[in-house]
Amino acid sequence: MKRSGIQRDVLALYKLCLREAGKKPTEVQNNFRNYARASFRAHLDVNQRDFATIEHLLRVGRRKLEVYSQPGIKNISR
Amino acid sequence: MASLFRSSLRTSTATAIVPRLSRPVTTTTTTSVAAAAVKCTGMKNLGILRQAGMAKKGFHVSASRRILPAGPQIIQGTVNDAAEVPDPNATHGSYHWSFERLISVALIPLTVAPFAAGSVNPVTDAILGATIVIHSHIGFESMVIDYIPHRRYPTLRKGAMWALKGATVLVLVGLYEFETNDVGITEAIKRVWRA
Amino acid sequence: MNTAPLSRSLLRVTTLTSLKPTAGLRTFASVAASQTAPAEPGSKKPNTKQFQIYRWNPDTPEKKPYMQTYELDMNQTGPMVLDALIRIKNEVDPTLTFRRSCREGICGSCAMNIQGSNTLACLCRINVSDSAPVKIYPLPHTYVVKDLVPDLTQFYKQYKSIKPYLQRKTASPDGREYRQSVEERKKLDGLYECILCACCSTSCPSYWWNSSDYLGPAVLLQSYRWLADSRDEAKGARKSALENEMSLYRCHTIMNCTRTCPKGLNPGQAIANIKKEMAFGS
Repeated sequence: MKRSGIQRDVLALYKLCLREAGKKPTEVQNNFRNYARASFRAHLDVNQRDFATIEHLLRVGRRKLEVYSQPGIKNISR
Repeated sequence: MASLFRSSLRTSTATAIVPRLSRPVTTTTTTSVAAAAVKCTGMKNLGILRQAGMAKKGFHVSASRRILPAGPQIIQGTVNDAAEVPDPNATHGSYHWSFERLISVALIPLTVAPFAAGSVNPVTDAILGATIVIHSHIGFESMVIDYIPHRRYPTLRKGAMWALKGATVLVLVGLYEFETNDVGITEAIKRVWRA
Repeated sequence: MNTAPLSRSLLRVTTLTSLKPTAGLRTFASVAASQTAPAEPGSKKPNTKQFQIYRWNPDTPEKKPYMQTYELDMNQTGPMVLDALIRIKNEVDPTLTFRRSCREGICGSCAMNIQGSNTLACLCRINVSDSAPVKIYPLPHTYVVKDLVPDLTQFYKQYKSIKPYLQRKTASPDGREYRQSVEERKKLDGLYECILCACCSTSCPSYWWNSSDYLGPAVLLQSYRWLADSRDEAKGARKSALENEMSLYRCHTIMNCTRTCPKGLNPGQAIANIKKEMAFGS
């Protein structure tokens, strides 16, 4: 399946989130993974042609990833 | 004059708001303190409002988006990194600027001289022609750099630059032909002026 | 992806979202009702003014931005736009979001686009004699965080890139503070007052187009503030950082910056001074 640029961006961000989660201590890795998963699932209903919204969510997501990937962040829970 | 500038500033800043977020819808809700009531106009009322607006405006039949808006901001790196500083290159920096000003200033005497002297000299004519072409080349180059950002349209940018170079060479060749086989710029302007 | 800009523009043209009333608004109606009762007999008749404010909520990113209209009685509102905004937030709609801090034009937080020109809400008078509504937008060509709050990340990153601090290797001759003559200090007048509100940068068409590379008037004014400082010893490095086609030379002296500066500074002249110093040395 050929993906559009924005779809690839979203997938790349998701991959990066999972990779960053893998760098956390083993016992909390699942918490980070679940958080990333839930954050992406929360916006599953966004129209795939709604670029403005998707790009906004991408920007917010990157910003969040930047914060949560810092070594000072030890655990995450909802 | 000042008010003219001001109004142009206003329209330009007001028409091009926020790149990504779409143009806001005009007047959908009215919240009134005095009436202490929240009025809400839905799609139907909006249509009426719009029609009323159209009838009132009259002259304005063109779309509100007349110009191509600038693209979205590109933010690279994390929040706490400084924006990257490009490598110093005086040829594209201060030398370029000085050269550009020099050409602009040189154009003033070059334009006046042939007419003031009254003689048509092919050498000054050639210099004038070349200077004008270089001047406009720099101007167009600036437009390409401004409006075709390298980060967003790398291919289009290269194409535009080559097209500009081609056009400049073409004009130079044309001017050369005009100078050698015809009357030359100054004489042509003189004839058109007196025609 | 190549078709994206086109479809995006179509999207923008065709968005007409209907707006449902926010539940929160109704609970605050009682405050407004108490205000309609005249405070003292024989007081001035209500002088209402409309404010049309850009609204966009990041919690519902699918909903397109819209303009919301508020009406205020000017007899009970302060003279500045920020007074009106604060009153709207306090009494009408607490969901309205904007930045403000000092309310006297020294912090630069409340920069926004009022009546089509960028200015500080706390320094912008409400034109009471005019019946037209006051239109308030966030700073143009910035990402919006919420309502009137712009995302100034790029602006601050660029500010950081010019190293806005005194760079000096040699100690002062007498081991005390680095001193300047009165003339040297005078060169910094009109530069040090800049509060980095980003009004000028976001009014600059060149900056709209090339904000990733062009530094913009505010940052260049700051850059000149350090170039003009007699105590700074990194002038060569500062200049060579601007020595490329984008950082400085995208300024085409459009002068929107000088026109819009709420502090009455002249970034256009500062940029011209940098260009002059770069060309002729100094």
